[in-house]
Amino acid sequence: MRNLAALVLAAAAAALPAAAAPAPTGAELFARSDKGFCIACHQVPKGAGPATRSDLGPALEGRRMRELGRAALRAIVVDPMRANPGTVMPPYGRHRILDDAEIDRVVDYLDALP
Amino acid sequence: MRCPSLARLAAIACSLAAVAAIAAPSADRDQVRERLQALLPGMSPADFALGSAAFDEGLRAQIEQNAGAASPVLEEGARIWKRKFRDGRSLASCFPNGGRRIAGAYPQFHPRLKLVMTLEMAINQCLKIHREALLETADPKTMGAVTAYLRSLSDGRRIAVRVPAGAQASFEQGRRFYFSRLGQRNFACASCHVQGAGKRYADAALSPAIGQATHWPVIRDGMAVSLQGQIRECLERMGAAPFPAGSEELNNLEYFLTYLSNGLAIKANAWRAPRAAP
Repeated sequence: MRNLAALVLAAAAAALPAAAAPAPTGAELFARSDKGFCIACHQVPKGAGPATRSDLGPALEGRRMRELGRAALRAIVVDPMRANPGTVMPPYGRHRILDDAEIDRVVDYLDALP
Repeated sequence: MRCPSLARLAAIACSLAAVAAIAAPSADRDQVRERLQALLPGMSPADFALGSAAFDEGLRAQIEQNAGAASPVLEEGARIWKRKFRDGRSLASCFPNGGRRIAGAYPQFHPRLKLVMTLEMAINQCLKIHREALLETADPKTMGAVTAYLRSLSDGRRIAVRVPAGAQASFEQGRRFYFSRLGQRNFACASCHVQGAGKRYADAALSPAIGQATHWPVIRDGMAVSLQGQIRECLERMGAAPFPAGSEELNNLEYFLTYLSNGLAIKANAWRAPRAAP
């Protein structure tokens, strides 16, 4: 019984760090190769993310993002092929590359671009 | 009188059908070439043979600075190539001209086995005939080194892959693979190397589909990386489980991709920068 309690405590302690790890921000999701990795194709304004020469997708700027609006931006991130079947952009929602909350944070990041 | 005429007509129809079937691959190549030339005006297929270096002056300078990077690989490849088998023969004895000026004809369709035979398969076939241990297709230290050496014997020779009528299905499978979206990221090979050719992904210039088969293996981190090795890396980036090196899928893809480079000169063992850590 004592062993079982110790085991439960150890398991809880082991689970703690994972639960405490902060969720990646929109900017991190945008840049991380195991997440969105949007930076592989898109450039962002200076200071808003890593500077690259990537141009497989268009450069992103805040004014254009806000013209599109959050709903349209979200729809593009979830499944860009619905609006543009020929696009090479991955369907982040449809293919579950990012979950709903992560897509929201990426949209927050895009909406706040300078 | 009617019967012989009918027979002659049937024979003519048969030959026309065969010609039409053989013409299809060249139509595929023309389509890709026209698309690339529209996207990249001012560049010729010979420029495409430089791969990503065609769009990156810095990479071209690095390639020059690292011109000797292939030497240790080629030395090891030559050692394997010339090593005497137990029966006194060697790999060199299995190929015409001791292997000189032959790489441009590979991959080739084997009419009896009805499959695409890559240079690696031909090497292993030779070893098998002479009862020697086979080389692991994906091993850069053995198969990679010996193919690097063998392809270097064809440097400057033009790629001349043939697609006979019996090879249509293999060629078509390779073509479909190249244009099909795969994996979690939903990319096709063509997304980057036709549609996006010359642009940059993850800061690296994307090589055009035409020309990709001219400069393999590339030398990265002192190792020979085969065309199929590079394709497997791409598949991983696409979020797709890569087919094994030497699989029918990758052999057919290599067949299609090499055919696209027909007429371009082989320049094997191009240096490439080490892969950045993910």
